[in-house]
Amino acid sequence: MAVTEKTRQLSDERLVELSLDGDEGAFGVLVRRYERRLTAFLSQLVGDIELARELSQEAFVRAWSALERFNPKYRFSTWLFRIAHNLGIDQLRRRRLLTTPLYRTDSEGGEVEVVVPDLDKDPLGHLENRVLASELREVIDGLRPEYRELVLLRHFGGLSYQEIADFTKMPLGTVKNKLFRAHSVLRKALTDFL
Amino acid sequence: MIRGEARVATNCQTIQEMLTENGGGLEHLDGAESRHLEVCPGCREVAAAEKALGLLFRKAIPPADPVVEERVLAALRPVRIRRRIVAFLPVAASLMVALVGAVMVGGVPGSGILGLLPEFSTQGWMAFATGVSDWGSAVATGARAASTTLDPAVLAGAGLVSIFGLLGVVLTALRWRRVSLWRDDR
Repeated sequence: MAVTEKTRQLSDERLVELSLDGDEGAFGVLVRRYERRLTAFLSQLVGDIELARELSQEAFVRAWSALERFNPKYRFSTWLFRIAHNLGIDQLRRRRLLTTPLYRTDSEGGEVEVVVPDLDKDPLGHLENRVLASELREVIDGLRPEYRELVLLRHFGGLSYQEIADFTKMPLGTVKNKLFRAHSVLRKALTDFL
Repeated sequence: MIRGEARVATNCQTIQEMLTENGGGLEHLDGAESRHLEVCPGCREVAAAEKALGLLFRKAIPPADPVVEERVLAALRPVRIRRRIVAFLPVAASLMVALVGAVMVGGVPGSGILGLLPEFSTQGWMAFATGVSDWGSAVATGARAASTTLDPAVLAGAGLVSIFGLLGVVLTALRWRRVSLWRDDR
């Protein structure tokens, strides 16, 4: 089914209505609109770009299957990211059951998990500056979990502060404050690249 | 801390929060905030760093997968087929009931219908035909009794209602419209 330019410019809500009436082209527009951001968010969550692409596809299929249960009172983006987030978390749990982490001893005698990066699956593998990719990965992984999730939603998922507040069910002020603190950490850690 | 210093600190925090939210962009600042930025090196530094950070994150987003839309739409096909099958089950059941009913009241010759069916086992079809015939005799007797006690106009009306009802079920299934649970206007 050919998708017109007019369809491409419709709001998410209208595209959902058309999809409910069986217009797969309209759903295709939603897929194109969110695929990159969803994959970017998932790739940081699961640490594997190929897996993120599969999960992203699965999230869209699940969204399509459950479209009549989507409440238009909320934003489509928030709902879609919630589906993707749940898929990512399930995947992480499953992987944790199937793998054994490697540890090394750090200078103070503590155990540190060894992460062996696979460049083919690296979500930042497309960055030409390998030092920057490695540093960025380290900084994001080193953020407190509550900050990390917000940073991923904001910068990889491209969600607005309000959408993040809806997603996390946090007050908008809390989201602003936490992201401000997270950015202070990011600015300090990435000084050399800014 | 003197009062002026406290005010500057508060302003810095507010302005830096705004700069963080807007990726270092200055367009959301009002006159007083812009003036503050002119005289506050700390806030200017944050504005520049936020711009650079935004750029860095934009670069960190992996490129789009050009075939993803195609792949997702292809993956929807089995879902659509499953939905259509489920939607048509009541139609198939209604048609079956209507057909068996028609055979039973003698509207369609049962042997003619059976003759169209594939011959997987003569005994199987015979058993089926006997079953239909037994039920048919009972229902045909009932129908004949109804025709003697009920007004023919009522019977004709009932027949029309049945036909239109069946037609309605078929059209609904064909349209296969998904109904949002959350919308009142559907």
